[in-house]
Order: sequence, then structure tokens, then C-alpha cells
Amino acid sequence: MRVLLIEDDIRLQETLSSHLRGAGYAVDVSADGIEGLYLGEEFPVDLAIIDLGLPELPGLEVIRKLRSRGKDFPILVLTARSEWQDKVAGLEAGADDYLTKPFHMEELMARINALLRRAGGHAQPRVDLGPISIDLTGQRVYRDGEEIELTTYEYKVLNYLVMHPDEVVTKTDLSEHIYEEDADRDSNVIEVFVGRLRRKLDPDSTLNPIETLRGRGYRLARLLAP
Amino acid sequence: MHAFSLRKRLLLVATLVLVIALGLVGFALNAANYRGAVSALQTRMESYVYLVLAAMEVDDNGGMEVDGEFSDPRLTQPASGVYVQVLGAEGGWSSASSLGQQWPDLPRKDPGQMSFLEPAAEMHAFTLQYGVGWQLADGSVEPFTVTVLVDESEIRQQTSAFRLGLWRSLIAAGAILVIAQVVIFFFGFRPLRRVAHDVALVESGEAARLEGHYPMELEPLARNVNRLLETEKSNQTRIRNALDSLAHSLKTPLAVIQAGLPLHGGEAEASMQSAVNEISRLIATRLERAGSTARRTLGEPVEVQPQVQRILDSLQKVYSQKMIEAGLILEERLKFYGEQRDLLELTGNLLDNAFKYGKSHVRIAGGAVEPGASRPGLWLRVEDDGPGIDEAQWERLSQRGSRGDEQVEGHGLGLAIVMELVTAYGGEVSIGHSEMGGAMISVKIPSS
Repeated sequence: MRVLLIEDDIRLQETLSSHLRGAGYAVDVSADGIEGLYLGEEFPVDLAIIDLGLPELPGLEVIRKLRSRGKDFPILVLTARSEWQDKVAGLEAGADDYLTKPFHMEELMARINALLRRAGGHAQPRVDLGPISIDLTGQRVYRDGEEIELTTYEYKVLNYLVMHPDEVVTKTDLSEHIYEEDADRDSNVIEVFVGRLRRKLDPDSTLNPIETLRGRGYRLARLLAP
Repeated sequence: MHAFSLRKRLLLVATLVLVIALGLVGFALNAANYRGAVSALQTRMESYVYLVLAAMEVDDNGGMEVDGEFSDPRLTQPASGVYVQVLGAEGGWSSASSLGQQWPDLPRKDPGQMSFLEPAAEMHAFTLQYGVGWQLADGSVEPFTVTVLVDESEIRQQTSAFRLGLWRSLIAAGAILVIAQVVIFFFGFRPLRRVAHDVALVESGEAARLEGHYPMELEPLARNVNRLLETEKSNQTRIRNALDSLAHSLKTPLAVIQAGLPLHGGEAEASMQSAVNEISRLIATRLERAGSTARRTLGEPVEVQPQVQRILDSLQKVYSQKMIEAGLILEERLKFYGEQRDLLELTGNLLDNAFKYGKSHVRIAGGAVEPGASRPGLWLRVEDDGPGIDEAQWERLSQRGSRGDEQVEGHGLGLAIVMELVTAYGGEVSIGHSEMGGAMISVKIPSS
């Protein structure tokens, strides 16, 4: 999942981005509204965290412009302004949630998680795919109650597929959403991750949880609970 | 102590001046009248002298006699108040009116000499003495002194009648002038009273500045008051902005500190966390509220329903996964006589708690307090079907600036802000149980 962070305080920006990366997100950062807006428009962002008090272009404007240009990824407003007047203005401009400074990192992570889940159509933090269940908050995957050990990138691939159910996800989509802009991408690596993920989730090849649509991409299979 | 009112002060001074002036006029007129009366009397007394001299006969030896048949009865009637005496070397004559009168011992006058004396301590009469020389047949001159006495009552009656009339008319004039003053001051001070009334309107918040047209003399006052109001307003805005920006700029570094603290750290982290919480709470409840005047705004009241709807829409977005059903029961056309941001803050905090703790239902009701008042108050009641607030906590939450539930910024912070705000508007907050099962917070803001 790719997160855009627009925050002008460099210390906070660094703390947040390192936490986000640690939690497995690809993070793009910007310290001003104009650059942030550009990143939001041009990059395949899954979620944006936007500070309202930004130089160049106020956060509210960034949100309005993103929404008016059809960007519908969830936006979390990060603001020092704790008055409801400001919160309401942020939400009315098109944000989906707000967090006032100062905040707990855990709180921020929980909100991001919840927003991504909601965007993926999952109301609950637990997603069940037949015998496979995914705990989106704890980033853990189980099969028949047994935890399956996944590497960070394997989990990222699975998470992205879970967040885009009933959609065909291309290798480009995957590499764009799990890697940051400056990372060295190779679509073959995605194939390797998907292959390993399949083996871990479905060692005896009975479920086929990830379908391959030749020449188009991957799709999460609709697996019903047993 | 109240300073003497301007009107009373002017009235008192003007009345005093009036009394003194009218008194002086009275004395002057009285004196002039007296002088006139005395001078008329003197002339009359002289005519008595000539009357007596005309009736006087002197023989060759200087002996004299007066034919006492005068046409003026005052010379013949005893105790008439007019007495004439002629004294010569060889005897004298006195008028019939002086019968039984004691003649004072007066010096004689040489021929041609005349004296006029007004009544004195010993002498209760006007005295006119006239010295004449009567030429005898042998050519010698015989001196005579004619003395006329007129009782002082003669003049006193006359002048006291005048004085009475004079004072009566002066008092009448004075009374008319005092009444005129009262009327003049009443109308003259009307603009001042209007200024006072207008200033009171500004003070109570019903007007932003002195708007009326005032008399030329009061224009500078009105102008300066307006200038003062503007300065005050801009100072207030400046302070408000400074506090506001201070509050907000403190939060980002605070966020940096907090972001570096793990939620379940050791003792050192926990104490740092509590310090960060304390600072955040102070910023939210004190610093951010310090800038807002919470004074009733002079402008238009805020329609409550659309603002509450904005909050509900926002919260539905934020808590969308909870699928909360929110009920909104407001009196029609309910208005809040205050600032919109305060109304949003009030309903936002109350409803946020309700959404946060409620399971599936939230309800907000509201109405006017004293709907007849010119600027009625407002009551609001927010309920949810959550776990509610237990009574032990009510007490703690009701305390100003209570810490509440620190970890989730629970009811505590939101309620603390609500209390701060409601108190600033002179209202009250009460906490109770809702029939829906959860908490019920009621807010009442009185009319102004």
C-alpha cells in the first residue's frame, strides 16, 4: 500500500515516514502543498495523510483539488487545529478522517488501517478467504487457525490483493503500490512474490486463492468459508 | 460615591447664580426706590418750610407769629406725623400737629444754611432744617431756623409696600427661570443620554459602534469612542490570532515527541507521555479557548439545525464503519445567539463522544430557553446507547479541566472543552443516564 504524506514539519515527516515504512507501507513525502498535490495526482496513491497547515497551498485546497480531479483514495487529515470548525471544514473538503496533533503513533496506524480497509470494502479488520484468514490490523495470516509466516513483501502483495477484491491487479499495479518511487522495480520479482505467496497459502494446490489471468494480471479468488 | 449628576450640578449652580442675581437686582431696585421716595419727601418737606414762612409775620422787634390756619391738615392735626417748628431769637412757633411732641434739641442754622437728616438710632424722623434771615424795618437781619420733622413711618409704609411687590415679582420670575432651566437641561442633555444609551448597547453587544447622529459638540466624543472600539477590537483580534497560532505551533513539536513514544513503554516513557498529555490538554482547554471571547456576538444568530447536520455528516463519515443511526430533534428555526465556531465546538464534542461510545444509536435534541427573550438561550441534549458514564466518573468529569480518560482522549477532553465553553456563556452542563442506555449530556445556555 502506497501512502502519500504531506507534512511540512521535517522532524514529524521523518518520524512518521519511518514508522509507516516500518509498518510495510511505501511512503512518498512532500513538505508543501503544491508538490504534495502533484504527487497525489500523478502517483498511484492508496491513501494520503495531509497536514492542513501547509506552505504554498493549504491542506484544505490540496484535498479539494484532489477530489475535484477524481482522486478517491482515502485522505486522513493531520491537523494542529483541533476545533470542530476546522475538522468539519476538512471533512467537508473531502477528507475521510482527521487526527489532531499530538497523536499516538498507534492511533495513526489504526486510523490508516481502518481507512484502507473501508476503501477495500472491508468493515472488519479480519478478512476470511475460505480457510485463510487475514488480520489486517496485526498483519498476520492464518490458515485453519495456524499462522503462516510471510515476508514483508509477500504480505504487501497479499494485502493489496485483499484491498482490491474482484479487481484484476496488474504486476505494474503491484510494483507501484508496494515500492516507493525511487526503488528499483522488476516485474519478475512480483511474479516470484506471488509464486511464493501461493505456495505458503495453499501448499497442496487445492484452493488456488490467487488466480492468474494470462496477460492481464492477478485476481483474488472468491473463497467461501468451509 | 456617585459624583453629583451633571444636570443637578448645573441646576444647582444656575439656581444659585439666579438667586444672587435676582437678590442684587432686588436690593438695587429697593435702594433706588428708597432714594426716590426720600428725595420726594425732602421736596415735600421744603414745601412745608415755604408754607410756614409764607404764613409767618415778624414785628420790628424780631418777635414773630404764624397764622396757624393751614390748608394742609397734617400741620394742624396732632400726631399727624408732620411737625414744623420755627425758632427765632425771641421765641418760636410750632405747628398744631406737634402738640404733645417732644422736640429734639437741634442746633440752629445760620441764614441760608440747610440740612437734611435721615432717621438715625435716636431719631425716628426725617429732619429738614432751614436757616432764614428776616430783614427788619431797621435794616437788621433776624435769624430764624425752620425745622420740619416727618415721621419715618411715612416712608417706611411706602417703601415696604414697594418691597413686597418687588420681591413677589422677583420670586415669580426666579421660579419661572428655574423651571425653564430644568426644561432646558432636560432637552439639552438628551443627546448625552442618547450617547450613554448607545454606549450601553455597544457594551451589551447589541451594537458594534456608536452609529447615531450627535450634536456637533458630541461628535468628537462619539468619534473617539468609535476609534477606541476599533483599536480594542483590532487588539483583541491580534491577541486572539497570536494565541491561536501559538496553540497550533506548539502541537507539531508535541506531535514529534509523542510520535517517538511507544504506547506501552517503560516508566520513563509513561511519565513523558503523561506530561505530553497534560500539555495537550492545557492547550486544548485553555490556550485555544483563551483567544475566543465567548461574548455574544453582535451579529446575526446562527441557525442551529444546519450546523448540527454538518457535524452529523462529518461524524457519519469518520465513524462510517459503525453504521450509527443518528436522530436529530430540534425545535424549528432554533437559533444560537453566539459564534458559529462555538456552536460547532459544542455539538461536535458532544456528538463525537456519543458516536465514539454509542453502539448503534445517537440522538440530539434541542430547543430554546426563554423563547420570548430578545436573545433567547439554548438547551441541547445528546444521548447514546453506549456503556454510559458511571456516577463516580460524573463527579470527576464535572470538575473544570478534568483529565478524563487519557488514553483515548475520551469523554474527558471533549467534555472539558464543552464545560469551558458553556461556562463562558454562563450556562451549565449536566451528565446523566439516557433511556437509550448510555450517557446523556445536557447543556443549557441562558438567554442574554
